[in-house]
Amino acid sequence: MQLTGKSKAALIIGLLPAFLIYTVFAIYPIIQSFYYSFMEWDGFSEMEFIGLQNFENLFQDSLFWNSVGNNIFVVIASVFGQIPIALFIALLLNRKIKGLKIFRTIGFLPVVLSTVVISLTWSLIYNTKDGMINEILRAVGLDFLAQNWLGDTKWSMVAVCITVIWQFVGLYLIIFLAALQNIPEEVKEAAKIDGASEWMTTWKITIPMIWDTIIVAIILCISGSLRTFDLIYVMTHGGPSHSTDVMALYMFNETFSNLKYGYGSAISVFIFFFSLLLIGFVKKILGQKFI
Amino acid sequence: MKKLGILVVGLLLLFLTACGGGEEKSSGEGKVTELTVWNDWTENRPEYKVYKDIIAQFNEENKDSIHVKIESIPHDQYETKLRTQAAGKQLPDMFRVWPGARIQPLVEGKVLLPLNEILDTWEGKIPEGILKDYAVDGKQYAIPANISETSLIYYHKDAVKKAGFEDFPKTYDELKDLIKALNDQKVTPIALGNKSIWPLQSVYISTIADRFTGSEFLPNTLSGKGSFTDENFVKALSVIEDLAKLKAFNEDFNTIDEAQSRTIFNSGKAAMHFAGSWAIGPILEGVENIDNIGVAPFPSFGGEGDTAKISGAAGGGIALNAELSGKKKEAALKFLEYFYDDELYQGLAKSNIVVPVQVEMDDSIPEIYKTANGFAQGGLAPVYDATLTPELTDMINNGLQSITIGEKTPKQLAEEMQKENEKGKK
Repeated sequence: MQLTGKSKAALIIGLLPAFLIYTVFAIYPIIQSFYYSFMEWDGFSEMEFIGLQNFENLFQDSLFWNSVGNNIFVVIASVFGQIPIALFIALLLNRKIKGLKIFRTIGFLPVVLSTVVISLTWSLIYNTKDGMINEILRAVGLDFLAQNWLGDTKWSMVAVCITVIWQFVGLYLIIFLAALQNIPEEVKEAAKIDGASEWMTTWKITIPMIWDTIIVAIILCISGSLRTFDLIYVMTHGGPSHSTDVMALYMFNETFSNLKYGYGSAISVFIFFFSLLLIGFVKKILGQKFI
Repeated sequence: MKKLGILVVGLLLLFLTACGGGEEKSSGEGKVTELTVWNDWTENRPEYKVYKDIIAQFNEENKDSIHVKIESIPHDQYETKLRTQAAGKQLPDMFRVWPGARIQPLVEGKVLLPLNEILDTWEGKIPEGILKDYAVDGKQYAIPANISETSLIYYHKDAVKKAGFEDFPKTYDELKDLIKALNDQKVTPIALGNKSIWPLQSVYISTIADRFTGSEFLPNTLSGKGSFTDENFVKALSVIEDLAKLKAFNEDFNTIDEAQSRTIFNSGKAAMHFAGSWAIGPILEGVENIDNIGVAPFPSFGGEGDTAKISGAAGGGIALNAELSGKKKEAALKFLEYFYDDELYQGLAKSNIVVPVQVEMDDSIPEIYKTANGFAQGGLAPVYDATLTPELTDMINNGLQSITIGEKTPKQLAEEMQKENEKGKK
């Protein structure tokens, strides 16, 4: 479509409402957060300008770094859990099999479910006394493997990550399936004629052809895991003993439970830059090597 | 294209006006003064019905002049929402508040209206000591509807008897023996749900620490005249460590919430449950044989505190927005006088809520309620999360959880708390 001067105006008018909403509800609050992060403020009384004091405290706050560490754990677990599993299942499903739709629906189901439902259900599964996992382990005589999954600091983070992976595999599965179906048949046929095995076709043709999609999925995955909040909030509330605290949860607790709005804003600002840098970094390494 | 543009602009205008319109209405001076009251009466509990019924009755009697609108927000989110709205200066006309340290920030932020001009209404009716929970610097900000005792022990009489105890233990040593005996019988001694991390602090430590340190300790320490590293306070924290080591709790106590733990107790899988007076209703409703349920005060721990005391605080207060004036203020004050009256207290007592005024009790009132009501006569000890600053509350909540899994020692927690306490003073 050619854009003449007139339709450009229409375009701007068309974008305006969305842009306004976005400015008011996304850009403005971010700027506001920057402003608050230089203040000491409990939300009620007068704000007091304290310069970089909040950030200074932040860098010395071991509980905060604990939450950053846990968050990185979630990011790594998600990227190396969700993406390969989703890709593997997508490759399996990308052929003419009976009941493809059913498999697709099953895979996507966790994405549609409310996080609260997922968290509560998994809490029951993980329960140390009569949770499904421990019951099964005990039933087959593997009692020594039964753990207090969410109540033991050694296992709580692993248990939470498994749930996170389970919840979002479906999302990437659908994205990958869509990308796979866009690969032209001719290319694959040509490979077949040249005598390439299924394995070769997958690695040399299929994966490179959807590489762009994989990168997008990885970035979505990282940014998604960086703001994990709801699932952990419901499942463990960051506990026991801060072992599953993540950045967003720590920010929420500091801001709204401890009434440190300025400090909370400083954490948000940190999360903002941290996410930006991490994603920029990942984009750089993935982007340069392969495309 | 032009048409499209006009359409979009039209929609945009509509959207903007729709957004702007909402604000005007509520402040408009109609004939009927509308007041909004925020609360956490979302569950299906008899006491909430009492509150709502009285408001409905008030609306009916004043239908030409005042209408009170109820907006309920789930308990766990309520205070967060209230504080956030307060920060944005968008509080409703009236809202439920908790006493002590929990209204302090609201008072400092000057968002509450003092009620001293109508305080005479309750003179001689509600004891001074309970009213003062809702007062800051001599100004009253809400009227208590109930007393929330935070530390009671509910127990299955048969289970305790089976473990060899005719009466419920009176001392801590006996309680430990009972716990051991129950463990030997493969009965979970105490049902605890500490995922939300407040029960060990609010229910357990509030009274246990009071038994060790006496009631003056907490206010003194907060004002700088004492220290959390006090030997007695550390001993109180060690009780939690002891109990965890004795395996006194259900295995999953750090992964289930308070209400879930009550289900374990109600089903008879656990012999005891430590909880506040808020548990009376759910327990009466949840157990099969009420006569088998006993309620006992915390045992004595051999400390300096008064063993007749139990931690508790006033509750159920509704505060007014400081911005109310003229007709709205008048209506709101009238509402409070109507609301906190005999009918409310009698209704609450019938719903097994401990109330701050004397009410007649007939035989239909269950034994455990009468017993629990009686404990309040021994005097109330401060509740920790109603007295500590939010930071300290958060610290002790998390710290107690760490103690239960051996990640922290009582001494470490006490030192941490004292450090935070001194920091707050500067």
